[in-house]
Amino acid sequence: MDFVTVHSIFTVIIFVAFIGLVVWLFAFKRKPDFDQVANVIFADDKKPQQKQQQESDHE
Amino acid sequence: MSHTQSLNVDYNYTVVRLFALTTVLWGIVGMSVGVLIAAQLYWPALNFDTAWLTYSRLRPLHTNAVIFAFGTSALFATSYYVVQRTCQVRLFAEKLAMFTFVGWQVVILAAAITLPMGISQSKEYAELEWPIDLLITVVWVSYAIVFFGTLIKRKTSHIYVANWFYGGFIITVAALHVVNSMVIPVSLTKSYSIYAGAVDAMVQWWYGHNAVGFLLTAGFLGMMYYFVPKQAGRPVYSYRLSVVHFWALIALYIWAGPHHLHYTALPDWTQSVGMVMSVILFVPSWGGMINGIMTLSGAWHKLKTDPILRFLIVSLSFYGMSTFEGPMMAIKSVNALSHYTDWTVGHVHSGALGWVAMVSIGALYHLIPAVFAQGRMYSIKLINTHFWLHTTGVVLYIVALWISGIMQGMMWRAVNTDGTLTYSFVQSLEASYPFYLMRFIGGCFVVAGMLVMAYNVIKTVRAKQGTLEPIAEAA
Repeated sequence: MDFVTVHSIFTVIIFVAFIGLVVWLFAFKRKPDFDQVANVIFADDKKPQQKQQQESDHE
Repeated sequence: MSHTQSLNVDYNYTVVRLFALTTVLWGIVGMSVGVLIAAQLYWPALNFDTAWLTYSRLRPLHTNAVIFAFGTSALFATSYYVVQRTCQVRLFAEKLAMFTFVGWQVVILAAAITLPMGISQSKEYAELEWPIDLLITVVWVSYAIVFFGTLIKRKTSHIYVANWFYGGFIITVAALHVVNSMVIPVSLTKSYSIYAGAVDAMVQWWYGHNAVGFLLTAGFLGMMYYFVPKQAGRPVYSYRLSVVHFWALIALYIWAGPHHLHYTALPDWTQSVGMVMSVILFVPSWGGMINGIMTLSGAWHKLKTDPILRFLIVSLSFYGMSTFEGPMMAIKSVNALSHYTDWTVGHVHSGALGWVAMVSIGALYHLIPAVFAQGRMYSIKLINTHFWLHTTGVVLYIVALWISGIMQGMMWRAVNTDGTLTYSFVQSLEASYPFYLMRFIGGCFVVAGMLVMAYNVIKTVRAKQGTLEPIAEAA
């Protein structure tokens, strides 16, 4: 395979992978999982009550 | 917030502290050299006819000091802090982490000695000669081992998005540095690039623009994704958007380099690819900026009382501004006007002083009390003073260079009816003169702000443990 073919295939793979990523993120009901992940930075806070009230604030 | 009662993890803060303090130190040094060379453009006599004080040698010293000493130290400090806290484990290979600190300081000192001596590879942002390049490689590989080792032994199941950005930055900078630093040494202080002609130029700007994209953008976005939500006390606006942001940004940035070489010997199609990719980059950049700023939605009032949050959010507005300006300047017809003028320099500084410096300063004001077991910085008022000094300085700087740059571009391209140039180069220089004074004054404001920061940091570090109580949050 020549240089151009390899690069064309690579470009298509990257494009499909990116679309796949977006579908994976938004097509399924994953919001609760991601909300939990977004709150991981508050896990070591002194005031745990503060974080719970924010869980449902966004989106 | 200083310690981790709820999780009971004993984090390694020693190396974080060291990098945090050197960030402030190198910030003052690097920006002061910047002010000196800005002054030299207005008062040329300030080089005192001394070779190592000339603009040509101090300019690379300034860029290396602010990017690799100030900016990269801030990245080391915050990445070691964030990776431990989001993975809920102590740093992997702590001795190696300490080596990255010592090694990086040696790199900085070597740069500070060799660049004024005129020892240089003459590649922008990659001036350091090959022995220093080798040391950088060793330190960087150690950094990767510490960072990814910590990720591997994490206690959380998911890798928080900030770490993806830091990880992307570490890997890409390693690849960029190694490829662009390929040289044939002829002596300890002199080497020649293995690339020739247009290929050399393309490799250099593939490196150069991705140093902007991965070191000065991806790394600092990692910082943004931890410190903005943390300081605001709210999770990031959309975690899903942050994942799209990461992959879109790293997939696109790598192609943007050719826009530094418009209308050169580079093949036309390469220039066009670079232009198109740079314009598309606007989309993930603004996606990320909106994600950061909208984290504050419903809590905008916090901006009134919290100068740290103000630093972070204003840094994002500068990020948005320069990532709009950048794609625009990458369009060939706009570039025909802007290239080689002060507009480019102004654009870089709106990114460097507005985005990179402000997000780092905000992150440091959050991080320093936390790693020195204090509830807050010594003086919140002085943070506010710093904010206004810095903002005033940046605005003066970029406005001066916008006017000067566009004026230069217009004067250089002006032709008389018979096809001769309307203005000589010296006439455009003369027209820029007042704006160089304005730029110098702006720089003085920024350095003054950094000195205020240094005082505040020293007072915080020296205060007795636990004496600085966190302020009760205003509802």
